[in-house]
Amino acid sequence: MELILRQLPIVINALNEGFVQTLKLFSITLLGAFPLGLLIAFGSLSRIRLISFVTKFIIWIIRGTPLMIQLLIVYYFPGLVLHKPIWGGGESGRFLAASIAFIINYSCYFSEIYRGGIQSVPVGQQEAGLVLGMTKWQIFTHVTLLQMIKRIVPPISNEIITLVKDTALARIIALQEVIWAGQAFMKGSHGISGAIWPLFFTAFYYLVFNGIVTVMLAWFERKLDYFR
Amino acid sequence: MAILEVKNIRKSFGNIEVLKGIDFSLEEGQVLSIIGSSGSGKTTLLRCLNFLETPDAGEIIVKGETLFNSADPTTKSESQIRQKRLHFGLVFQSFNLFPQYTALENVLLAPKLTGKNNLEGRAKELFEQIGLADRMNNYPHQLSGGQQQRVAIARALILQPDILCFDEPTSALDPELTGEVLKVIRKLSESNMTMIIVTHEMEFARDVASHVIFMDGGEICEQGEPKELFANPKKERTRQFLAHY
Ligand SMILES: Nc1ncnc2c1ncn2[C@@H]1O[C@H](COP(=O)(O)OP(=O)(O)OP(=O)(O)O)[C@@H](O)[C@H]1O
Ligand SMILES: [Mg+2]
Repeated sequence: MELILRQLPIVINALNEGFVQTLKLFSITLLGAFPLGLLIAFGSLSRIRLISFVTKFIIWIIRGTPLMIQLLIVYYFPGLVLHKPIWGGGESGRFLAASIAFIINYSCYFSEIYRGGIQSVPVGQQEAGLVLGMTKWQIFTHVTLLQMIKRIVPPISNEIITLVKDTALARIIALQEVIWAGQAFMKGSHGISGAIWPLFFTAFYYLVFNGIVTVMLAWFERKLDYFR
Repeated sequence: MAILEVKNIRKSFGNIEVLKGIDFSLEEGQVLSIIGSSGSGKTTLLRCLNFLETPDAGEIIVKGETLFNSADPTTKSESQIRQKRLHFGLVFQSFNLFPQYTALENVLLAPKLTGKNNLEGRAKELFEQIGLADRMNNYPHQLSGGQQQRVAIARALILQPDILCFDEPTSALDPELTGEVLKVIRKLSESNMTMIIVTHEMEFARDVASHVIFMDGGEICEQGEPKELFANPKKERTRQFLAHY
């Protein structure tokens, strides 16, 4: 116990550093996947058969395979084909590769939720807009969008909370996120080795962060309660 | 000159012909009532006039200007249609107010988006007119069906359409709420608004309409003065239909 207390500040420091990387990956995934998901949703709703077919095919591939494999493919495949690494060796290269894999993966999941959201807004809303002389884009931005958002907040919240935990998968390409930082104390890091408790302790980070995320999402959901 | 001329409008869905050549015309200030049994094509006709459906054939002419001519593809482009459909207004059976906006915002949204500002004063007048001046800042879900439908009427009126169309404006309402909506429409007819009203309210049609069309199977079966048509229908189909009311 005394030992743990002595190790604690060192471990917390290292875990904090790892958690910053976790947070960065989390944020950039949301930032990228929110708009890209919408684009993919438009693609799958397209009246042009080829576009909607290709989009649905891609969604099938991405949702049908593990994110962990996608991470490995994004990170290693270009190097195998081009015979030279394109991501650079360092942490920033791993982060870039992880971000791309996460954004692609999550935008496909988001797109399906968006599509359901768009389709659940009654056609009468769009027709009312058309009859009032609005353009399709105006109808989307001023009429459909907010109604869609209201409907998708609960399912998107689920995805966001899953994402918090999914960031741990980036460890497979050695991204130095919080679990990676915790695990390092087993092999030896910052003069501590053979300690497994830091790894267990990382769960606490996820728990607290997910608590904050849950409260924020609930607040947002309540904000949209003013209409039905 | 007629404010509206409709010539030989035809529309099929798949291989079902829903409109089989509709012709009629309307003078300014006239109120046309369209009646007919379910599936006879009344809604489809209104949707064609409002460019929610593209007719397969025919012409739509408002104040001498050809808004639609199936033979002239330039009348089918989207930006053209957006301008032209503003000659018409449409009030839906299901109101279709935008739930995230207050009643007032619902009325002002389209003018704002199309660059017509400073209509707040006009909007407030309209709310007086529909008897909802005290409910302007309510959201649709806080209003009764009858109130929502009256807001929908104001939302159509603010764009000053030449012809205002109603598709069974009271069919989704509880019986005790139909009166307040019909009253608003009646007042509009007194102020010489040109209107086309699809309705199952025969008494109302007889009172308010200056002209009645009875549609059957995608065609105009009979038309004329309401008092005459309701009292002495010439066709057997009309008689059968009116016997239900
Ligand atoms: N988008 C569509 N696709 C296929 N068929 C349609 C479509 N819209 C309408 N129809 C068909 O066209 C016919 C006429 O429909 P319409 O809605 O115009 O009738 P209506 O006279 O308004 O009937 P109601 O009194 O029930 O409202 C119906 O048989 C209907 O099933
Ligand atoms: Mg109908």
